[in-house]
Amino acid sequence: MPLRFLVPAFLLGLAALAIPVLVHLTRKQKARVVDFPSLMFLERVPFRAESRRRIHHWLLLLFRTLAVALVVAAFARPFLHREDLAAGTGAGPREVVILVDRSYSMGVGNRWEQALEAARAAVRELGPLDRASVVFFARSASVAVRSDTDQGRLLAALDTVGLSHESTAYGPGLKLAQTILEETELPGRALVLVGDFQRAGWTGDEGIRLPAGTEVTPVVLASEARPNRAVAGVSLSREKVAGRDRITPSARLTRTGGDGEEAAEIVLEVEGRELQRVPVTLPASGAASVTFEPFNLSRPHTGGAIRFADSDDLAPDDVHHFVLSPGRAIPVLVLDEGGRNAASSLFITEALAISEEGSFDVAVRAGGGITTSLLDGVSVVVVNDRPLGGGGAAGALRTYVEGGGGLLVVLGERIRWPQELADLLPGVVGGIVDRADASGARLGHLDYEHPVFEIFRGPRTGDFTRARFFRSRNLQVADSAAGRVLARFDDGSVALAEKQVGKGRVLAWTSTMDAFWNDLPRQAVFLPFLHQVVRYASGRTEHQAVFTAGQILDLSDAAAMATVGLGGAEGAPDVHQERVAVTPSGRSLVLASGQGPRFLHLEEPGVYEVRPAGSADERHMAVAVNVDLGEADLAPLDPEEVVASMLARSGEVPAQRGDGGARAGRLRLEDQERRQALWRVLLATAFVLLAAETLLSNRISRIPGRSGFHAGS
Amino acid sequence: MASVSSSARAGAQLLLPEVLARIDNLELLARTVVEGFLNGLHRSIYLGLSLDFAEHRPYMPGDDIRRMDWRLFGRTDRHYIKLFEAETNANFVVLLDVSRSMAYGSHAVTKLDYARYLAACLTYFARRQRDRVGIITFDDDVVERVPPSARNLDLCLHTLHRAEAGRPGELGRPLLKATESLRRKGILALISDFYEDAESVLSAVRLLQGPGHDVMVFHLLDPAELELPFEGVSDFRDMESGERIPVVPAKVREGYRVLLAAHTAELRDRFTAAGVDYALLDTSGPLDQALFRFLLHREKRSRVR
Repeated sequence: MPLRFLVPAFLLGLAALAIPVLVHLTRKQKARVVDFPSLMFLERVPFRAESRRRIHHWLLLLFRTLAVALVVAAFARPFLHREDLAAGTGAGPREVVILVDRSYSMGVGNRWEQALEAARAAVRELGPLDRASVVFFARSASVAVRSDTDQGRLLAALDTVGLSHESTAYGPGLKLAQTILEETELPGRALVLVGDFQRAGWTGDEGIRLPAGTEVTPVVLASEARPNRAVAGVSLSREKVAGRDRITPSARLTRTGGDGEEAAEIVLEVEGRELQRVPVTLPASGAASVTFEPFNLSRPHTGGAIRFADSDDLAPDDVHHFVLSPGRAIPVLVLDEGGRNAASSLFITEALAISEEGSFDVAVRAGGGITTSLLDGVSVVVVNDRPLGGGGAAGALRTYVEGGGGLLVVLGERIRWPQELADLLPGVVGGIVDRADASGARLGHLDYEHPVFEIFRGPRTGDFTRARFFRSRNLQVADSAAGRVLARFDDGSVALAEKQVGKGRVLAWTSTMDAFWNDLPRQAVFLPFLHQVVRYASGRTEHQAVFTAGQILDLSDAAAMATVGLGGAEGAPDVHQERVAVTPSGRSLVLASGQGPRFLHLEEPGVYEVRPAGSADERHMAVAVNVDLGEADLAPLDPEEVVASMLARSGEVPAQRGDGGARAGRLRLEDQERRQALWRVLLATAFVLLAAETLLSNRISRIPGRSGFHAGS
Repeated sequence: MASVSSSARAGAQLLLPEVLARIDNLELLARTVVEGFLNGLHRSIYLGLSLDFAEHRPYMPGDDIRRMDWRLFGRTDRHYIKLFEAETNANFVVLLDVSRSMAYGSHAVTKLDYARYLAACLTYFARRQRDRVGIITFDDDVVERVPPSARNLDLCLHTLHRAEAGRPGELGRPLLKATESLRRKGILALISDFYEDAESVLSAVRLLQGPGHDVMVFHLLDPAELELPFEGVSDFRDMESGERIPVVPAKVREGYRVLLAAHTAELRDRFTAAGVDYALLDTSGPLDQALFRFLLHREKRSRVR
């Protein structure tokens, strides 16, 4: 095994060996000069000074020169050349990707430990010239170490990453592995896939195409489907009682697998304190629901959880976290004619009164004038088929709308829309269209892109076609810039149109909202439809209830925060103020002030609290984070399906580069040097020598009459 | 003599070179030193050398009672001392070495400063004796010369004040020139550090003795020259030649002291043998030793006469 150097040019630095000697011999010039009257006696003294041109301390000189030589040699990267390694082994070095599943289902039993041990075994089986990459994946994938031959570094990387709280998705991890394998120049390729192979993480259309010849080794850690319980969903119905919000939580519980019924206890926790404990019996492969006694909600951003009293193997899905704030109901004022037509608003008021979260605060005013004071504090005014009347009603309504108020005008037979307010409506109101002779009109076109109808976009989310309209008002929307038609009848006439006026919105419904002109109020879709119309008119947005672990929040984006229910009317978090996010595990993350995004990575399930920096008590906002329940299904997947899917598609032969052989040869030398890492030993020895030299030099200089003048070289 | 020197220690504080270095005026300095020194003496050993009566003055303790005027005491019942005019029959010339090596000083006073004070005191002292005073400064040649005269005290002091150490020194040539310029016999005070071989020094001093001068030699050395107290490795540079040699003081100290002691001992012996009064002075010590030497020498001379 001859000693070779990877960078022999550095050996020129051996010329530095002369430095210690030269420095010592020339240091004479720096001696202290003493003026003395005459040297006639000093010159006659037999011992005056020893010549600096003699070297007196050979040991010091040896230390110094040896230290310099070792440093130079270390930079030249020495290694013991082994021909057998350079010649390669068999098919040559391989590029190995070790893909480790770190989704939270890997926390079942000791799967995670087994996965790490399997990955370590894969590292230890690497050949001397093999390179390996360690990739962890869950919902997303990340490379811990890329194409490294150092087994120590690879093993260390395995110890640095823990389980995540994300669900499994094989696509990103396999895509990353495919990229690494495609980019390698080594002749061999191998993929070691370590995980529990959940069916939930595999869609089948990931589109993975591993290079031809790739050797795939699945390491399956799930032997069979295990029973698992989960809190599948939580409903928090809300009602107003004496001005306070009363919350009635209920939870849906699921159980996959298992034999026979299983008794369990469900616990309701609010702000970390257990409020109630309810027993429940779960059937095998079934579901159950449980409803708790209502509790009063007083302070905003109240965090809570519903969990199983005792966790099973897969604990993260046994709990559901939530955050509640006292509801801010939308004040709605319904103006109708009263009298004998008082029932005309019945469907409106009843529909708005039914709300899980008490979203609407409805008041009805029958008859009477419309004044500014009447509209004060109201978010949405429903003019339910009545004349507006005089006495400044028109002015008050215009001021209200332009100031940001929402207006829903129900155009029935009794509406008398004043001419001075004609520009408020999205079109010109015409006469009554009577379809009583036929079977009535139906809603033929709905603008599903619009927020009002967006929730009805999917199948079985609301059937408008069943409603029949016997009469309607003609509304001519001439200018598309002035008004936007949201719904049309099947004869093309306008059913619902909107117009932006100042800061407010005006929606015109061309039929009535009682069961007289149409039967829409009798349909199931009427309630969500009316909620959507009123909520849209008010300008409020629907809030996202909970977040899933792994999602990222940008706290600086006020609009985005408002859509997820954070900020909004309370005001978005001030981007100019530094904030602190406290994770469920108690860690504090500082979200610096200033421009630019302020990302909060919601890694853990639980309640994240965000408050201004330096404030211990004020909880500015709270975010509930739960794990993706898709992971709760522990049903395994046949690994062969995955392997076959990846290899069956790969018919391409990876391009062999022309200089691949030479490049591999160079790599072998580098790899040998890297694996031996003799430079570390040399540097360490040099430091030891320098330390010994310092000690020795200091000791010599302290001896009387044995100063550095004589010492050393 | 021992009693004299011990009693003079009382005023020695005034004679310390560090104290004198604060007095800028050489005449004032000389007067202060000399008068102070004399006041401390119990016995006046030099007044009354003349036979010409000058005046009376009241008796003071320490005065020689042989000089008391008993007749006047009989008339006035008071003690008076008779004072006589001193003779002015001697030349006193200071030969001051102002070579470069005299500029050395390891403390507040250099050798040249010390030599300056000493020369000023001696000159002032001599002038009080009514001697004619003069001065010659030299390095490797005569630098300045003030011929001896009864009126030249100020000029001598002024020359001393201006004296600066400059060039490398040598004794032979300047002393030969001095000898040639001093034709009348007198007292010569040679002040130098004598960094030459004893033989060279003696041959130069013998030149001075040739015309019959009384020669006093004051050998000045700094304490650092006597002890070589330096520590650490140093390059020692000759102040006159500029030559440098590396020296480890701790190593050479003993050898140096031995050589220096041998040098001074040889000088002392050979000067004594040649009838030259030799005094080795440490520049950190008071001036009284030098003044005593001078007094002794002066007395000896007067007795010879």
